[in-house]
Amino acid sequence: MNDPYKTLGIEPGASDEEIKRAYRELARKYHPDNYQNNPLADLAEEKMKEINEAYDALTRQRSGGGGGYSSGYSAGYASQSAGGYQYQRQSAGSAEYARVRQLINAGQLDQADALLQGSGPKTAEYYFLAGSIAYRRGWLDEARQNYAMACQMDPGNMEYRQALNLMQQGGYAYRPNHMGAGCDPCTAYLCCSLCTPWGGPCC
Amino acid sequence: MFGYVRAPAEGLDEAGKARYRAAYCGLCHALSERCGPLARLTLNYDFTLLAMLFAPAEPEWCDRRCLVRPFRRRRCCGRCPGFDLAAEESVILFWRKLADDVADRGFFAGLPARFAMWGLRGAYRKAARARPDFDARVREHLDCLRGLEAANCPSMDRAADAFARILRAAVPAGLEQNRARALGELLYHLGRWIYLVDAWDDLADDRRRGGYNPLLARFDGRPEEHLDEVRATLAHSARLCQAAFQLEDFGVWTPVLESILYMGLPGVQTEVLAAAGGSNRGKRPRIRRETDERPLQDPGDRAGGQR
Repeated sequence: MNDPYKTLGIEPGASDEEIKRAYRELARKYHPDNYQNNPLADLAEEKMKEINEAYDALTRQRSGGGGGYSSGYSAGYASQSAGGYQYQRQSAGSAEYARVRQLINAGQLDQADALLQGSGPKTAEYYFLAGSIAYRRGWLDEARQNYAMACQMDPGNMEYRQALNLMQQGGYAYRPNHMGAGCDPCTAYLCCSLCTPWGGPCC
Repeated sequence: MFGYVRAPAEGLDEAGKARYRAAYCGLCHALSERCGPLARLTLNYDFTLLAMLFAPAEPEWCDRRCLVRPFRRRRCCGRCPGFDLAAEESVILFWRKLADDVADRGFFAGLPARFAMWGLRGAYRKAARARPDFDARVREHLDCLRGLEAANCPSMDRAADAFARILRAAVPAGLEQNRARALGELLYHLGRWIYLVDAWDDLADDRRRGGYNPLLARFDGRPEEHLDEVRATLAHSARLCQAAFQLEDFGVWTPVLESILYMGLPGVQTEVLAAAGGSNRGKRPRIRRETDERPLQDPGDRAGGQR
């Protein structure tokens, strides 16, 4: 494992408060909401894992080897990042749609597109998946149009609605504090405080 | 197409400005050394961003004289493979842009570009010899873009994609895989952003000339009625650049790059979108690419060495 102080960007003599502050800033930076459906989401998840491990190691070290309050931190993010940020939900449609989702997750966009094109009638899920393929390609306007069509055909589907909201807001990104940080995920998710590892507001 | 990617002077402290200047001067020297003295004419702040992205996190610094200031040494980023690569790729991109201008315009309107190509042909040959793969990919993507333009492609994404792939192709080979992915995504969305901002900036010209414009094609000739959609998609690409940027360490260049990505792009976007449309349509002057003409104030030669 890397030097936990280096991973968190702090000096070995840092106080508990400084460690916590550094961890919070990094957790805000690599928050899964900033990388929703992003082709680089796996890299952000890896970073999140590294800083969770570093924070865990430091808190264990400072509390004399016990788990202390650290164990809940990594658990919080691990469960969240493994969840709805990739296309891992059960497909409500055909087995072909489930296969399209797998291909999108694997980054095989041409194959996903070819399979989707031959998948029969154009349902709401078809448009959602077409939007997801476009998004992964960086074709943001086509993604928005497809998500809008999916929402129009199935207005009650939260997955489609969330995807369209992301497009209408122009996406999310971490903004460093010295650049006048705001917290985009907060705006979108009304600061879902239970999701943060420290159990409070995320900014 | 050039001049949109810049750090606002007010977004950088003195050390940041000095580093930006050192990168600019370092790229100028690299252009001259790799592609000949006339290659310096292609220098601009857009290509300086490429150089900073490819440079080492902790570069060597040096003090050098140049043609513009022959009596005073200035702090520059020293020679490194990242700057050499950025220099050669810059010349290839500049040359291809000129070739595109010659192809797009009539004989007389294309004369300045023809003249510039004649002057830069030696520099281009050196750069293309050093980076044949990049040159081939730029040509391939520009051919694809020309085909989409000829077909009046109604998808602004597909047209922007052809341009964005050019910038993605600039990522050096042999880079660690995660860094290459992050840089590729950053440059792809930067390319998309540049292409669409330039398309908005060119609305009046393209209407007058009847030339292809991805926004006119996408919104049935009335993109001004879809300003919110254009703004959101541009902001989205800028944010995807920022998200990719945050995944890698850029060392001493971080404050300058942050300033470009978090302040420069949104500022230019606001300026371009505000200047277009409304009653000024067709008469509006193009935005002033001020950093190309009036570089940042020199904060002092030695400050570039501060870290």
